[in-house]
Amino acid sequence: MSATERRQPALTSSRWSISRGLVTVGIAVIVLFVVSALFAPSSVSQGAVLGMLPFAAVLSCVGLGQMLVVQQGGIDLSIPGAVSLSIVVVSRIPNGDDSLLVPAVLLAAGLAVVAGILNGLLIGRLGLNAIIATLGTNALLFAVVLGISGGSPTTTTRLLRDVAGGLSFGIPNSVFFALAAFLLVTLLVKKTVAGRRFEAVGANPVAARATGLRVRTHQAAAYVWAQLLYCLAGILLAGITAQPTAFQGNAYLIPAVAVVVLGGTSLLGGRGFPLATVVAAVFLSQLDQFVLAAGVPFAVRSIIQAAALAVGVALYTIDWAALRARFGHRQRVGAAA
Amino acid sequence: MAIRKRIALTAAGVGVLALMLTACSSGAPSSNDTPATGGAPVAGAPDWCGPNEITLGLLDGFGGNSWRKITTAAGADEVAKCPSVTGYEYADGQGDTQKSIADIQGMVAKGVNALVVFPDAGEAMLPALRSAYQAGVVTVPYRVNPGGEDGVDYDAWIGADFTTDGENWGKWIKSNFPDGAKILFLSGPKGNSQGEDELTGMNSVLGTGGEYEFIGETPFEPTNWDPAVTQQVLTSAIAKNPQIDVIVSDFGPSLVGALPEFTKSGRSIPALATSDGNVLGCFWTDNQAANPDFKMTTVATGNDNVRLAVQYAVAKATGGVLPDTTTFDAPVFEDSVTSTPNPVECEADLPGDIFLSAEMTPQDQAALLK
Repeated sequence: MSATERRQPALTSSRWSISRGLVTVGIAVIVLFVVSALFAPSSVSQGAVLGMLPFAAVLSCVGLGQMLVVQQGGIDLSIPGAVSLSIVVVSRIPNGDDSLLVPAVLLAAGLAVVAGILNGLLIGRLGLNAIIATLGTNALLFAVVLGISGGSPTTTTRLLRDVAGGLSFGIPNSVFFALAAFLLVTLLVKKTVAGRRFEAVGANPVAARATGLRVRTHQAAAYVWAQLLYCLAGILLAGITAQPTAFQGNAYLIPAVAVVVLGGTSLLGGRGFPLATVVAAVFLSQLDQFVLAAGVPFAVRSIIQAAALAVGVALYTIDWAALRARFGHRQRVGAAA
Repeated sequence: MAIRKRIALTAAGVGVLALMLTACSSGAPSSNDTPATGGAPVAGAPDWCGPNEITLGLLDGFGGNSWRKITTAAGADEVAKCPSVTGYEYADGQGDTQKSIADIQGMVAKGVNALVVFPDAGEAMLPALRSAYQAGVVTVPYRVNPGGEDGVDYDAWIGADFTTDGENWGKWIKSNFPDGAKILFLSGPKGNSQGEDELTGMNSVLGTGGEYEFIGETPFEPTNWDPAVTQQVLTSAIAKNPQIDVIVSDFGPSLVGALPEFTKSGRSIPALATSDGNVLGCFWTDNQAANPDFKMTTVATGNDNVRLAVQYAVAKATGGVLPDTTTFDAPVFEDSVTSTPNPVECEADLPGDIFLSAEMTPQDQAALLK
């Protein structure tokens, strides 16, 4: 293993390589649903799950976007601005007029591409630090949000409310959008040449450059795709909440990073795990629903969510083998003394 | 090195000088203490408009949402009713406490005679208010309580009495559910005093006999007034409680996305006691037929709170007749059951975020938000 290669934990014994992240969050989700059913049965009732899924769908889209960026060893802190901007564009521009919804969606997508290119140029081309560049972009995006909306919330159009907030075959429509985004990301990254190159660049930029790949272009492209996914999340969220605020995206910055980490994608870059990221989004959303249904005080809710996150991150980042070895060593010393 | 040092010293000196100058200018022209005893009120104007000519400043801590825009316009409209106010200035603190304080100091320095202030930052604004008051400017904070005392730190705080809102909701619940009810009460961030006052008001009407039971967290279920959180809280409450008779919320429009959760679970939207908003009125109009239990009452959202504050400040500075009260009681606005004082209203052609309870016409409000 060369010094520049990034270690990727995976279970390789089976025919299909299943990532450690997927196994971990998969088990976590199953355990969470069992615990929910035992201790707060109402949180797994049909109504509660149908209420949870749209938010899980939004978080999945945001998480997939962040995953693409994290795969390239970057991080995107412009999520609040990006999500808020697409919300404001699809609700403010039509201002209740359904016929203007499609142009507004296209405009939102256009702005997302512009924001993505800006991030991509700053980080991929000019080599700026991702944290600083995306924070700056976030401020710019919020300036546009305020410019368009004056900070005031507006009701979304009926059409958007029906499309994003409605049900088809008993399943929230937003789930289908998230599923489509997931399939698109998975197919593009895992099954196309460009996608394989993208992942190779993330895994080892130095080796990728040596083989003649356009490292900077791939790195910049991650930000553009990410912005498009945030834009989708914003449009869905606008329809789901029907009366969104102009700062609705603020709540998604931390959870977006959390689902990526819980899904097992290394913050140092490398392979991405779209399925594990989506499952992690379901986990966090159901955790919200569980603590609400369990009826614990508001303060304890926040602690439980933080604790779940800390445990999840600890699973990947702490070198448990070394810890065990050290602990075992101390025990032996203690016994000898 | 020596040159650099000299430049640094010069820069520091200039900075200190600039600071001293600002300090002087902000404290200099005061003595605008206008006698409160005046002659006859101006002909054709309301009695709170006295004969002494003044300039008035309206200061907002954060002016960036539709409610604030309508409120600010209502303030300007009230000022325009009094010809004795010869100058009118407006400043928006943009959510920045430092700027809000500087705005007050700037207005005092310019020599305004009366200040009407929305002190969003609460007690952080008190020193600035006090120094304006001590400089002889009629200072009237409104809506948000800045702490301090009337007549010591400022002339008067024209606050909203949220206990009254709670009492109004309580009365409505009592008359519609005489045998008791299960009530879900949603308010803003955990520990906000508005929600606590509202609960006190409701409890004073509903009593503690146990017929009326609050479900969920006490004193209220926190939603941060965020529509997404509201939706999650409501989904969970619906799944957990087979019976919810009444929902009480102090921010009605944020419920529009959440209430359909009842329909999705195959239940009727329950009775709702809340604050008004055009989007909510239209939601009720569209959904009441399909939801037999969906009765609704609203209290006015309180855009006209600023009018009382302006009246008080103008009366004090121009020598007019002071209003009898310094408390703004939001009146009941809509009641879908009795239609008194109004049936539920919906202006489907106008934006959702206007407030039909405000004195300003819906068309004027819509024009403001364009």
